[in-house]
Amino acid sequence: MRLFEYALISGVLYGLFYGFIGVGLNLLFGVMRLVNLAHGDLVVWGGYLAYSLTTSAHVNPLWAIPISIPLALVAGFLLYVLTVPRLRRSPDTETSSLILFFGVSQVLEALATMKYGTNQVTLPELGNPVTIFGQQYAASLVASAALAVPALALFYLYLYRTRLGLATRAVMANEEEATASGVRIRLVATSAFMIGLAFAAAAGPLATFMLGGINPTTGGGLTITAFTIIIIGSLGNPAGTAAGGVLYGLASSLTQAYATAWTGMVPYALLLVVVLVRPSGLFGRRVRVA
Amino acid sequence: MRRVIFKTYRRLALVGALVASGLAVAALPGAASAGASGGVITVGTLYANTGSFATSSMPEYAGLQFWVKQVNAAGGMYVAPLKKKEQVKLVSFNDQSDPATATTLYNQLLTQNKVNVFVADFGSVLTAPAVTIAKDQKHLLFDITGSGTSFFSSGPNPYVVLTSLPVSAVWPKPVVGLLSSLKIKRVAILYCQNDFDQAQAAAIQGFLSKEGLKPVYFQGVPTTQSDYSTIVQAIKGTNPQAVLEFGYPNNDIAFLNQLKSTNTHFNFVLTPFPGQLPTLFQQDVGAKALDWGYTYAVPPILKINQVNIGLGLNQFLAKFAPGKESSVNFLNVAGYNAGLAIQAAFAHATSMSQLGIRAGLTAVNGKLQTLEGTFALNKAGAQVGELLPVSQMVPAGSGFAYKIVYPATPAQKAMVNATAKYPAPKA
Repeated sequence: MRLFEYALISGVLYGLFYGFIGVGLNLLFGVMRLVNLAHGDLVVWGGYLAYSLTTSAHVNPLWAIPISIPLALVAGFLLYVLTVPRLRRSPDTETSSLILFFGVSQVLEALATMKYGTNQVTLPELGNPVTIFGQQYAASLVASAALAVPALALFYLYLYRTRLGLATRAVMANEEEATASGVRIRLVATSAFMIGLAFAAAAGPLATFMLGGINPTTGGGLTITAFTIIIIGSLGNPAGTAAGGVLYGLASSLTQAYATAWTGMVPYALLLVVVLVRPSGLFGRRVRVA
Repeated sequence: MRRVIFKTYRRLALVGALVASGLAVAALPGAASAGASGGVITVGTLYANTGSFATSSMPEYAGLQFWVKQVNAAGGMYVAPLKKKEQVKLVSFNDQSDPATATTLYNQLLTQNKVNVFVADFGSVLTAPAVTIAKDQKHLLFDITGSGTSFFSSGPNPYVVLTSLPVSAVWPKPVVGLLSSLKIKRVAILYCQNDFDQAQAAAIQGFLSKEGLKPVYFQGVPTTQSDYSTIVQAIKGTNPQAVLEFGYPNNDIAFLNQLKSTNTHFNFVLTPFPGQLPTLFQQDVGAKALDWGYTYAVPPILKINQVNIGLGLNQFLAKFAPGKESSVNFLNVAGYNAGLAIQAAFAHATSMSQLGIRAGLTAVNGKLQTLEGTFALNKAGAQVGELLPVSQMVPAGSGFAYKIVYPATPAQKAMVNATAKYPAPKA
């Protein structure tokens, strides 16, 4: 029973972090149908920023979060201007973006290798373990969840309480209709791209704790995990992303507790079940095509 | 979607690797013309410049490169069938830690570059494709650290030679001896699902069952596992007297950090890689979290200077990294040791055929003393001479020191320099 309780709490905490990882990717794919294979690499670069700050300035690695956000916004704007308009003119945006962002991913990975080498790097633990219902959890795990909740809430507020968010949802639902209604697609797309990258970079320091360290190739696996989460949760819905993350975290954690050998497979089996039973994801709405 | 992404990743990575490796070969002086009869002996190998095995592969590759440099500086390597010294040329490709890419590149080494012999990349995962190719194409493979039991379990095989480590199933023998001497009966075993780790876990399970014991926890995880939070709790729940975690470096690091971040204390924890990569573990896990843990003792922890081929350990340390001897790790030594095995094979080869070169090793089997110990192979090509004692990491100043606490062979008893401290004191 104690193990079940631990797995449950740990799964929820991890899941919220995974939701955080998925948010940025959700936005990019939802708005522009861009398959950002470099998403995980951006997370990793956020982690490396935290590592650099810790090792050179000896500050708390979480300072990397506020520092990484403006950097990612600028990088996102530049990357958008250089690549996305051309991509969106291509006859098959999804496939072209898959290839382009694979290239970006490889470049980011190579740059990380040159700068930080191939060894795994870790960050010093944030503090003493936190006791929840008499069991101890890593401080970084609790902090990650605690930071993921407001981040997901901000994402929700952006989508549902701002004009830009309304326009973003309109584009996600149907770009042509949104254009006909006067939505400035370019503004929505640029914002979504920049915000998506900022979320990725901000998740980086937390990922370094959650994954037991990062190396230049950690990003590939993270991207796949993020895609799994947003597909489970459904595209364009922050609550769905959070729920997808929590479900993923719970599946992973409970499998670790009771069927350890299946740890690598069960979350993806879950994905298969969700896709077969509810192709639009857990929080997806059915669309009637007239 | 995941399947499409995954496939695209694999395909694009393979194309990238082939292009990159093509460029790498082009950059090697004379590599294109390096063939069996070009006045040089060509040695083909792979290394992982990126990916999860880069941490271990690159130091091993550096050790092999050092051997090439040393042997060429001495005028070349003596090749018995030619009765003269020949220069050695290394042809190397980057497999990016991907077994599929490695398969293509190993084939390329044999079919396109026509190397005389080839050397596997680090570890069992990247060695596995090379073993299959070596057996199929009857080409001599020097396997440095791919100690998976399955590579050597199908009877006599002249084409695969394990140079640096005993076969995985043999590694844990002294661990069982130590557990027994400490009267430990409740053992938890966590292993990664690959040849190397599975073989060790199964071997320990077998040894324990001979004593009528059953592990209180025996579970495998994917080699990509990085989150150990719930697993550690599950192990804790079994109240073990000893915890053995068999993984690759990234697994060991994540596991040990999980213990540290939740203040989880076990009286006996063994992980395989802190002995091989001390600097990395000190940096990523910290000396305090390593204190009183156990690991296999390998050179440079084992100081072997009585050799009859190549450099002794102290000479190697001084020449490999002058002024930075403490940065040298086992994998550097292992890469160099593989070179020495190649050197011995050619020096005693009966002909330039693959079996002729292999016969050279048979001639010196059990007689070769290298900085890793006695080089001895069984009929399947598995290393049976360089057995690994168990060491405990004990606090020393701001870091830690390795103390050998249990020998793997009677001859190693003289190396034991401490008694195991059990139960491990709490930090």
